[in-house]
Amino acid sequence: MKLEVKDIKKSFGEKEILHGVSFEVVSGRAMGFLGRNGAGKSTTIRCLMDVFRQDSGQFLLDGQPFRPWEMRIGYLPEERGMYQKNDVLGQLTYFAMLRGANRADAARTAHYWIDYFGLGDFKKKKLETLSKGNQQKIQIAQSFLNEPDILILDEPFSGLDPVNAQVFKDTIAQFVKEGKLVIFSSHQMSYVEEVCDDVTLIHEGNILLTGDLKQIKQAEGRDKLLITSMNGELGALQDKLTAAFPTLVITQDRGSLIVDTQGKAMQAELLSWFAQDGTALRRFGLYEPSLADIFIQKVGETA
Amino acid sequence: MKHFATVFNYELKTQLTKKAGIVTMIVMIIIALVGTSVPRIIALFDKPAEPGTPTEITAPAPEVDSAIGYVVTDEDAARLLAPAIGENPKLYDSRDALVKAIEAEEVELGFVIDQSLNYEAIFKDRSMYEERDTHFGNALTHIKKEQMILSHGLTVDDFNAIENQSAQGQVTILGKNSGNNYLLSFVLMLVVYMVVLMYGNTVSSIIAREKDSRTMEILITSTRPSSLILGKVAAAGVAAVLQFGLVVLAAYIGFQMNKSTYPEIVIMMVSGSLSSSYLLTYLFFSFFGFILYLFLYAALGSTVSKMEDLGSATALVQFLFIFSYVMASIAAQTPNSTLAVVASVIPFSAIMVMPMRAGLVSVPWSQLILAGGLMLVAVAFFAFLSIKIYRWGSLNYGNKTKLTRIVKEALRPDIR
Repeated sequence: MKLEVKDIKKSFGEKEILHGVSFEVVSGRAMGFLGRNGAGKSTTIRCLMDVFRQDSGQFLLDGQPFRPWEMRIGYLPEERGMYQKNDVLGQLTYFAMLRGANRADAARTAHYWIDYFGLGDFKKKKLETLSKGNQQKIQIAQSFLNEPDILILDEPFSGLDPVNAQVFKDTIAQFVKEGKLVIFSSHQMSYVEEVCDDVTLIHEGNILLTGDLKQIKQAEGRDKLLITSMNGELGALQDKLTAAFPTLVITQDRGSLIVDTQGKAMQAELLSWFAQDGTALRRFGLYEPSLADIFIQKVGETA
Repeated sequence: MKHFATVFNYELKTQLTKKAGIVTMIVMIIIALVGTSVPRIIALFDKPAEPGTPTEITAPAPEVDSAIGYVVTDEDAARLLAPAIGENPKLYDSRDALVKAIEAEEVELGFVIDQSLNYEAIFKDRSMYEERDTHFGNALTHIKKEQMILSHGLTVDDFNAIENQSAQGQVTILGKNSGNNYLLSFVLMLVVYMVVLMYGNTVSSIIAREKDSRTMEILITSTRPSSLILGKVAAAGVAAVLQFGLVVLAAYIGFQMNKSTYPEIVIMMVSGSLSSSYLLTYLFFSFFGFILYLFLYAALGSTVSKMEDLGSATALVQFLFIFSYVMASIAAQTPNSTLAVVASVIPFSAIMVMPMRAGLVSVPWSQLILAGGLMLVAVAFFAFLSIKIYRWGSLNYGNKTKLTRIVKEALRPDIR
């Protein structure tokens, strides 16, 4: 499956929130939808889920208009909650039935996911009697009901402790492995970096970049080297390099120098220079920026 | 509407298994059984009535109460008054002497009787339940009447024969007898009043709680808002019919079990007015009016973000419903007044006013059809509006918005 988001525009009153959002997601690859708070992630997802109707643009699934109510979708809204006074199994069965399962299948999938998260003893308990962490697991479990073909998760890691986050990451990885189409929004870069194959970065309603995460990293780190000296004296090393190669752009970043060589020829020349100079290096390699670096850089460029 | 049945079943099960609801129903069933047994309970404590109470004028038993003092004009008067004051009354010479005797607590009360057989009753303190002066007045009146009959050359028997004459009449009612139908109409109106308030508030709190707990977005992305609202309202309607059906059944059983202890007039008032046309009118307007109010409550429940705001949000519909109750009370007194006729046609008040009018008078078909048609249109319109407001409510948290603005925004085309 290929989901295409094409030129989505959405205004609230006089203010346009989404200014032509476009990106693509394909099955078997998790897509991280990144942005700061208020960037337009939830609005895009809500338009996708037909909670809001966009002013213009369209959502296409394999070239046809995307109708979420006709699909098997697991959706975790940003504002999540469930019936506090009702029992866990009953309401998960109910949600599964609302998404099209018959009673038997709904009960089966509800049992499965409750057990999967290790909450089998709480099936008949009211949700409000569970701890906050266990309530979060149940809320996430509701998005996995009915073996969805598409998972749309808005800030799924929000409020999860590291153990639950790991369980959740493993589950998403399994869905991706099974060829499901997975989108999740987040502003927690490390989780996205661990789980996603593709990323889309949105800022103030505009898409800043979208595509394969590895390729993006390579592109962003192109012609740059990461150099760390053995003695850790970055200032002296930077001065020496600047004196030897005045055209290089050299910056310091977390105990290393990042050198923009502007071409592969310069990289070889630099390596020879270090060999002749005798400077002891701990690391000399291609620079690959973290997602957080790319995010900060891209958002910074728009400021 | 694909998942209407799923929503309906879940909501109905939730409502019927709610502990508070079960306890309330049990209490109401007990009240219905005990309430309809009241005549039997009263009969257990009441002494049986004296058989053969005479219809003719007879002298009441004289007050031979030593705690009463009398002042009469002379001995002849005392003899004449013997049926009222006894053969050996405690007589005083003057009013002053009698007053002193009362103040000294020699006697509890006194009567000063003049020549015309009028009297003054004198008490030191008069208790709330004191009746001796009334009895004495009745006895004196009897003596006075007897004196007048004799002065006209008649006997008391002649007078009683004249007094017992009456014209034999037959009443033919072409329409309805308001007197017979009033009690049942009023009781059924109270049933509707209770059902609407109870279940209306239930529906609005279910929806407000969904919003408060942020369950709404999961629901509206799982199925259509129309299935959700219609399923919830239908569940509340069926729960009301089932639960109040049990209460009415309990009342019916209680009534049948205790029927023998009910006064004849009450039995006539209850069973005499149950015509099929009245029942149909009652069921139609009560049911659809109830559904109309459920949609209003559902819509207003969608407008709040927190449970504590629900009371103020539903105040408008509460006011509307109380207005309807007042209109029905007015219609009970003047069922064919212009006000009652207009109120019986407007859907918000027709729920109670039309059944009340239909119970008391013959409502023209034209008015029934007009009111029924308007009721159905109103139900359809407010069902549509409540679905739209519910959908609007799922996107709006926090800010309090005016109802007019809510309606305007809810009807925007970008809200599905």
